Amino acid sequence: MRRSLQRNRGRLATAKIIFLGIFLAVGGRAFQLQILQGEKLMRLGQRQHLKEWIVLPKRGALFDRTGEPLALSMESQSVYARPHRIQDVDNVSQNLAQNLNLRVSDVRQKLTSEKPFVWIKRQVAPAEGEKIQALNLDGVGMFYEPNRNYPQGQLAGQLIGFVGRDSEGLEGLELKYNDYIRGETGSSVTERDALGRRVLVQGVEGLQIPPGSDMQLTLDTSIQHLAEKELETSILKYRAKAGVAIVVEPYTGEVLALANYPSFNPNNYSTQTAEQRRNRAVTDSFEPGSTFKTILAATALEEEIVGREDLFYCEMGKYHYGGKIIHDTHPNGWLSFAKILQVSSNIGFTKIAEKVKKERYFKYIEKFGFGKLTGIDVPGEVPGLLRRVETWSPIDLATHAFGQGISVTPMQMVMAYAAVANGGFLMRPYVTRRVVSPRGEVLLENQPHVVRRVISEKTAKLLASMLQDVTSEGGTGTMANIEGFDVAGKTGTAQKADPVHGGYAAKKRVGSFVGFVPANDPRLVALVMIDEPEVNVYGGVVAAPVFRNIAQGALRRLAVAPEKTLPLPTAPKGTDLPAWRAVKRTAPTDGAVDGVPDFLGLSLREALEKAQTMKVKLRLQGNGYVVKQAPAAGGRWNDDEVLVLNLQG
Amino acid sequence: MAAAVSVQTPKSAGAERARLRRSPKSRWRLVAGVLLGMGVIGAVLVHVWLRLQVVQMGYVLSTTSKLQSRLEQENRELKIEFATLTSPDRLEAQARQRLGLAAPEKGQVIVLP
Repeated sequence: MRRSLQRNRGRLATAKIIFLGIFLAVGGRAFQLQILQGEKLMRLGQRQHLKEWIVLPKRGALFDRTGEPLALSMESQSVYARPHRIQDVDNVSQNLAQNLNLRVSDVRQKLTSEKPFVWIKRQVAPAEGEKIQALNLDGVGMFYEPNRNYPQGQLAGQLIGFVGRDSEGLEGLELKYNDYIRGETGSSVTERDALGRRVLVQGVEGLQIPPGSDMQLTLDTSIQHLAEKELETSILKYRAKAGVAIVVEPYTGEVLALANYPSFNPNNYSTQTAEQRRNRAVTDSFEPGSTFKTILAATALEEEIVGREDLFYCEMGKYHYGGKIIHDTHPNGWLSFAKILQVSSNIGFTKIAEKVKKERYFKYIEKFGFGKLTGIDVPGEVPGLLRRVETWSPIDLATHAFGQGISVTPMQMVMAYAAVANGGFLMRPYVTRRVVSPRGEVLLENQPHVVRRVISEKTAKLLASMLQDVTSEGGTGTMANIEGFDVAGKTGTAQKADPVHGGYAAKKRVGSFVGFVPANDPRLVALVMIDEPEVNVYGGVVAAPVFRNIAQGALRRLAVAPEKTLPLPTAPKGTDLPAWRAVKRTAPTDGAVDGVPDFLGLSLREALEKAQTMKVKLRLQGNGYVVKQAPAAGGRWNDDEVLVLNLQG
Repeated sequence: MAAAVSVQTPKSAGAERARLRRSPKSRWRLVAGVLLGMGVIGAVLVHVWLRLQVVQMGYVLSTTSKLQSRLEQENRELKIEFATLTSPDRLEAQARQRLGLAAPEKGQVIVLP
């Protein structure tokens, strides 16, 4: 028994020693791994199961004043390759080229490159991305990149600007407000499994990178569209080189529309020229021509140097002044100040300028904001060119009187007219209403800002009534007239400087019209400028109708009721019904089975009910009452035939 | 075995049994040790189970996060599509060409006060 116990003790001792040895070995190894090599091994381990995910910035959206989106962001897939990992270059090249609509040789060249990483195609279409993912090619991967999209296409393209591939604003408002709307780039370290899949054991907080702020503009998409369309129509009609149209609210300085031609689509910015990208309304300055006469008229009235009915002799169209001869388009004799403005006499305004004196005139030119930036929140604005009054020669006073020898931007000009429209206040124009963070905080809000009072309310009212005469019978701007409204404005036809030969180009002109409506209680001020029209150069012909069409549509959009009651469309003779009801059927054909049934004069509901009863197939065009039908009533009728009804009213 | 029992004296066998039999104190120690061991093993198992749950939830979260991203992307695409389809340029073309509509004539728009 004792021997047995002794033997057991011996075994236990041996086991203890063995276990102690094992323990020491394990402990030693643990010490080596945890303490001696701990840091290095931890790093290696983390590299294997942790991965840093880059969270790309989500750019904020741009909306118009009614909430219509103008710029939105989404994620696009870009296809990349790691050439050294690709075994079968020919096959992979073939596959990629076929699915991404690329040339095989181009793809092969990239795949045989020495570079460790090459882009195959950036920002591919979603369908292309899916095809590439389905191929599951070794060494080929997809990367998500932010992609800016402008759903309205070319609408306000120059104003909005565009964004580069790295989500940085490069032009327009995208550049100006880049810091607000860009959003942040973030990164998050998450665990991944043996297959490289992300395992979010730490939660998703790290992935929640705040997106950029949204921006609401003062633009109205409908008015902007109308301005662009009308501007383009006129430019094509008169074969002009370029053009600008601006619509502004006179009391606030909010820009409702800012159209440029040639147009620019920011969705394809890389394929478009710098000419197309330029926002001419603020980056280009022009000699304004006769539209500038309003500034001299305001000076003369405000300083009470000239009265509305004061008479001036207009020298029958030819006047020697300052060593030059000043011409009028039409010869005139004695004219009142109001009439001089109405017919836009250069000679008359030269004589008024003589009475005003150049120092006083210069002071008002500056007060109206010319020669300085308007302060609009759009990049690239220029101040125009206003020479110091000390350098003016006698002829300079005359040329400044009718808007030559000075350059102004279209934006400066429209704001000067806004000052006349709103009772004498020069406002700062702006296109951004507010910037709102993702949490709903208003980060920036533009409020109407009065720069200064330029003229008194009395002068502004008087000048507005004189400008109303310009669009009345006998004025140069009759084509700007809008039925039901009083329009105040001024036409301009300016000569263009010839930078090559000096002086003015023989045939190049800038035709323009600036005005506001309704004249007594203005809701909008608009400028239309057509650069180098060929078919006709006069502002009253090329620009005034554009103003009329834009203003008419804009007033409708702003729900401004006409000041005068408009008649309904006239009815044909012998009837007192409106036109659409006057075509009431003449012979009852209800239930007629042999001929085409008569739908004329029926309302939409009546027509549908009748068609259902008679089992007639209809195609409807328009709304209201049936004014026309094809085939006409009474003719031969096949049961399979479709009756086309035109409705109006 | 019977032979072994036959050589043992009753006294020495009893002493051995007594020695082999644990005292109550040492028995409690043993029970406590076993319970502690089981507790440790249980805690380790719970820890491992929790860790597995965390990993499992990590997978679920990852899948949901991907789904969320995909839906957000789809939402953005739909917003763009909607905005493109309702752009004034397209609406005007559709209204004129497909529906045969025209701009209202004078007097056809009545602005209510």
